[in-house]
Amino acid sequence: MSGALALRGARLPGGGLIGSVLAVAVWEIVARLTAQSFFIAAPSAILLHMTEHAGLLWRALGVTLWAAFRGFVWGNLAGVLMALLVVLLPRGERLISTLALLVFCLPLVATGPILRVLYGPGDGPQVTLAALAVYYTTFLPVLVGLRAAPQGWFDLVRSYGRGRMVALREVRLPAALPYLVAGLQIAAPAAFLGAMVGEFTGAERGLGVLTVRALRALDLPATWSIAVITSAVSVLAFAAVGWAGRRLDLAPPQVLLAAPGQARRSAWQGPGEALLALGVTLALWKGTMELFALPRFFAKRPEDVWAYMVSGPGAEAHRAKLFAAMGETLAFAAPGYLAGLALGAGLAVALTLAPRAAAFTMPVAIALRSIPIVATAPLIVWALGRGAAGTIAVVAVMIFFPTLVACLHGLARTPRAVLDLFEVYAAGRWRRMLGAQLPAMLPAFFASARMAIPAAILAVTTAEWLATGRGVGALMATVASTSDYGMLWSAIALIGLAAVLAHGAVVALERVVLARTNAEQLAR
Amino acid sequence: MPDEPRPDIRLTGVSKSFGAPGREVPAVAPLDLRLAGGSMTALVGPSGCGKSTLLRLIAGLERPSSGEIRIGDESPDDLRKRAALSVAFQDAALLPWRTVAGNVALGRSLARRPRDAGAVSELIELVGLSGFEAQRPAELSGGMRQRAAIARAMASAPELLLLDEPFGALDELTRDRLNAELPPLWEAHGATSVLVTHSVAEAVRLSDRILVLTPRPARIAADIAVDLPRPRDAVVLGSEAFRETCGQVSAALREGQAPGRLAAQ
Repeated sequence: MSGALALRGARLPGGGLIGSVLAVAVWEIVARLTAQSFFIAAPSAILLHMTEHAGLLWRALGVTLWAAFRGFVWGNLAGVLMALLVVLLPRGERLISTLALLVFCLPLVATGPILRVLYGPGDGPQVTLAALAVYYTTFLPVLVGLRAAPQGWFDLVRSYGRGRMVALREVRLPAALPYLVAGLQIAAPAAFLGAMVGEFTGAERGLGVLTVRALRALDLPATWSIAVITSAVSVLAFAAVGWAGRRLDLAPPQVLLAAPGQARRSAWQGPGEALLALGVTLALWKGTMELFALPRFFAKRPEDVWAYMVSGPGAEAHRAKLFAAMGETLAFAAPGYLAGLALGAGLAVALTLAPRAAAFTMPVAIALRSIPIVATAPLIVWALGRGAAGTIAVVAVMIFFPTLVACLHGLARTPRAVLDLFEVYAAGRWRRMLGAQLPAMLPAFFASARMAIPAAILAVTTAEWLATGRGVGALMATVASTSDYGMLWSAIALIGLAAVLAHGAVVALERVVLARTNAEQLAR
Repeated sequence: MPDEPRPDIRLTGVSKSFGAPGREVPAVAPLDLRLAGGSMTALVGPSGCGKSTLLRLIAGLERPSSGEIRIGDESPDDLRKRAALSVAFQDAALLPWRTVAGNVALGRSLARRPRDAGAVSELIELVGLSGFEAQRPAELSGGMRQRAAIARAMASAPELLLLDEPFGALDELTRDRLNAELPPLWEAHGATSVLVTHSVAEAVRLSDRILVLTPRPARIAADIAVDLPRPRDAVVLGSEAFRETCGQVSAALREGQAPGRLAAQ
């Protein structure tokens, strides 16, 4: 069931139509009852807004879709090429993976304004942000797929005296194809999200522009209309890629999310590779800026950030301001992150214990997973307030769905023979869950915990920027509008560092736990 | 088509160990061997005794820790580079996205032979898979997969054919049928063949010579010539001589077990 699940996408069960009608009715009633509290727009109001502004919405949708599509193509191309590079240069894996993670963790909120200055008017930033939003989620599964083939297939190629390129063409690439489809499926809605965020920062047209306008004007029906449209587009994009993948008649991928690469061979290798990654990052950062002779006014070099934060005039005040904002953000992001993981894993366990509930929860969960956070974040914050609850909920929602899907996938991968063994001794469902299914779920759980770090950063900064006006997300938005690029680059660097450290902590925890429960996962 | 005599395989002082330096586990003890060109040699021994490792050494898929392997005046790598050997793997190693015909054709393309749909379908017919050309491996039974794997191994017309327990995962009936149907194919071709198996009857039935190996590290416990007429039909298989050879091999297998292991049981 699980393999099909990843590709099959959203399919509402038989009672879907009746359920949908009922849900819309309840929605309408609740909206009318709470009309004064000002956060739920009634379906009738949304429909009215959509028909009145149909032309405008269609044109904006077209603009955003076109940017998203180009970003989708470029980003996935980059993801696939990076995975190929890692396979052909296995020694560079740590370095390339770390750089890929780092770039993926760059907050779209901050890169948007910088790209806007770089590109000037036009849709360059939208396309770039869409590409940045997708390459990592394609890179990871494709890398797993390129390595998923059993040794025997490589022996076959070698036995005819053929080399790595033939193995790549005949074995690795076809074996990676289903993994690519799974990656593209996640990428389709993500590209749309990236393009919208790109439009927030000074674009002339597009759904992102309309979103900002609606939020500023507190135009409830407009905000909800855009949320409905983006959600529908995202779910459709997800389903469309899944459909195209099924047309190719591919075997579903066996492991969607693999454990991290080989264990370290010596004690100094970990820190050594970390230092190397840091050095290469700084060199790339500075090198690119010097190569393209980017003006120092907005393209701050590493040493500029150092001066701004440590050695220059006013460094102490800068530090205090940034750390205060960062602390405020972390205080919301960390609980949201943990809550999202716990809820996702918890619901996955609950659904496995009560399989009948899973049959109709799964399609909904898969569909919801692709709804862009930019559409829902303002609504959640409006509903729960600008304090802790709203922001924590945004982060938790962002992480909850991917974790649920990954954990269900992992639970379903419990080996049949192990389940039979528990069956033979008439073990209860709790016993089976603890002894067999939970250990099988752990690799998927940790993989989604790793992937959730950039997702949490994206969610918390977006919510702070669009809705709450607090924390480092709001700080970045403010300093971007006042051209305080020293602070903007410092925030980016600090967020990148925090993301890599958090990632390292999760990987370390993952190693300790999996070494006890799933030793075979780490052996590869 | 035994056109020209096949060269002998010579192993001189070949050994293989695995593991980190200082903690090596010997898999194959130093061996000196000569396998006659054009003959079929069976390597027999208990599970995990190193017979597959020995086969992989001859295929050039593993490098010996010491010693040298020559096929005529070539190394296994030379043979691989000119695609003159092929291996039928234990788990068939069919590529799941290719059809039966596609997998057999792969045996030609990997060996840099020109495309030849006629030759491919002829091979498929020979191994008894006609009508299944367009099926994917997942749709085949275990026996059919092994038939396809052997057709693929034959597709490059190898001079050296290495069979790594090709029927090991099959039930007795299927195995018996494949033992009857497939050997004539490679016998007609006249390739030098090495077969790894843990079935005594299969070894006696298919080979000209049987090397019984002791477990970890592999040493030769017995070297038994199989002096039975070919084809090995029902008459031969029912003969006293067949049973006698089987008994000989079984006895050698029992003796090859280390005494401590028996005493411990």
